[in-house]
Amino acid sequence: MIVAKNIYKTYKNGSVKVINGISVEIEDGSFTVISGASGSGKSTLMSILSGLERPDSGKILYGKEDITILNDKDLTKFRRENTGFIFQQYYLLSHLSVDKNVKMGADLVKNSEYREIINAVGLEDKLKSRPSELSGGEQQRVCIARALAKKPKVLFLDEPTGALDEATGRSVLDYLVKLQKCDGFTMIMVTHNLNIADMADVVIKIGSGKIVGIKKNKNPKSAYEIGW
Amino acid sequence: MIIGLKDSLKLIGIIIVSFCAVFVCTFFLNFYLDAKSIEHLLATENEMILYNAQMLTAKFTCSISGGFLALIAVVMLVFYLKLYINSHCSQLGVLKAMGYSDSEISLRFCVFGVSVFIGTALGFCVGFAYMPQVYKSLTVDGLPEVAINFHPVLLIVLVFMPTVFYSALSVLFAFYQLKRPVLDMLRGKTVKEKKEKIVRKDKDRSFLSEIFVGTLKTKKLLSFFIAFACFCFSAMVQMGFSMKQLSSEEMGIMILLIGIVLAVTTLFMATTTVLKNNVKNVSIMKAFGYSMKEYSFAVLSGYNIFAFAGFAVGTVYQYVLLKLMVGVIYKDVAAVTSYNFDIPLFFITLAVFTVLYEGIMAFYAFRMSRISVKEVMTEN
Repeated sequence: MIVAKNIYKTYKNGSVKVINGISVEIEDGSFTVISGASGSGKSTLMSILSGLERPDSGKILYGKEDITILNDKDLTKFRRENTGFIFQQYYLLSHLSVDKNVKMGADLVKNSEYREIINAVGLEDKLKSRPSELSGGEQQRVCIARALAKKPKVLFLDEPTGALDEATGRSVLDYLVKLQKCDGFTMIMVTHNLNIADMADVVIKIGSGKIVGIKKNKNPKSAYEIGW
Repeated sequence: MIIGLKDSLKLIGIIIVSFCAVFVCTFFLNFYLDAKSIEHLLATENEMILYNAQMLTAKFTCSISGGFLALIAVVMLVFYLKLYINSHCSQLGVLKAMGYSDSEISLRFCVFGVSVFIGTALGFCVGFAYMPQVYKSLTVDGLPEVAINFHPVLLIVLVFMPTVFYSALSVLFAFYQLKRPVLDMLRGKTVKEKKEKIVRKDKDRSFLSEIFVGTLKTKKLLSFFIAFACFCFSAMVQMGFSMKQLSSEEMGIMILLIGIVLAVTTLFMATTTVLKNNVKNVSIMKAFGYSMKEYSFAVLSGYNIFAFAGFAVGTVYQYVLLKLMVGVIYKDVAAVTSYNFDIPLFFITLAVFTVLYEGIMAFYAFRMSRISVKEVMTEN
């Protein structure tokens, strides 16, 4: 279980309060969506939960381990062994092929079967293509393959369908949810699209750096049942 | 228009290289012109030998140092311009899409000549201020004293002509680079990306080895600058100490300082560019859990081979140059002793170089570790 306790985060020497006392628990193997308007603090919360950023105060517990007290070296080791990231802007290495971009994740855990993931996301015929030669949907699938190739225990997604059209967006979400149910990893997604929230097990709504509501979906919808 | 004077002022590397080139050429050429006036005063054969050796030294140093540094300034300018055009590709594409012609846009690039003007003008002024000491060290016992005169032609040749030349070069290079489809530019497609498509051989290397090999293959110009910086350090430091014995202490110190300034500036410029080019790559590697040792190996260690090759070439260069000066120019001058390769000096220079180089690389590895992953990863 991931537990956030009394998280505070400010920017600009404390003048901008981004996270204002958030406490939340996320079950292992669940699909959690963090939603909220622009500037509500949802991306910052994800960065703190994933160890990309440190809070000003509060604790982030992965089981019994508090990642907020880890030094840079241990935090890197933590990310290496536990987390995967999928970003809206992809952040693929432009001078490397699809194969090598995915290998970046695979090498960290010595996953020699990473090409199976490339096949699974339907890019087996694009192994040697550079990111600039791929469509937005294909680039996002490379990003997914790269994150999954390192076999993360927790997968963080920041607006993963933000740059995709409806058809591609639905197929990406469908693939991710099926994989998450099958492999059992925890998935935490930040989105402002409330329709996507209908797919999640838990929806955490953020406003002005605080939790304004937590909703549990008894019957999460599939990617093809939600509105867009 | 997006190209402004401030863009030119950022070219510190060019300012320093052109400063060094003109600084050296100013007093040697000035000495050459002034010394011509004492030619008729020379009476003996010995005086004539000394005089000819001095004149040859001035010409030789000007052509070798000035010419070499001018060439480096050309390479540096082209590198900066390419970098500028690639990083402003989509903005320049917008200008083209709006209807600005290639020549209208490229004409604005003449502002890059301002950096050369600053460097050459400063080099000329400082060179002139430093002239009494140089004249003192160049004047050999037995020759009449040479008086310092101002030669306006040198101001034109060393300051104004290079400025015009480098401005024209900037415009022409930009014009050539802008001859690309507007859509490619709007999409931020660089020339390099188009070329990369031609060669594609993926080998089964690890991700880190792939980045390492990619550095060796694709970053040729940056590798050249790193090699050049190490070349300067090796050649000028060893030459500076040898000149102290062969010529004068002032000349030795001057060469030593120029070498250190050129080496440090070029190395910092090149390594800063390496860091800037890799901010996003390093960020994503950090986010995924690669350690500082791993990403600094991938990004920086590919340049080590060029650095030490540059050092080796610099050692050979200074040896050949000094051997040539002593053996050819001063062969008839009895006061000048023979020159032999200084082995202890070589090892001391190599040790100092290794410590400095590894120190700078460690500094940049530390700077990489300070890159904020979150800032880069969550930017929209």
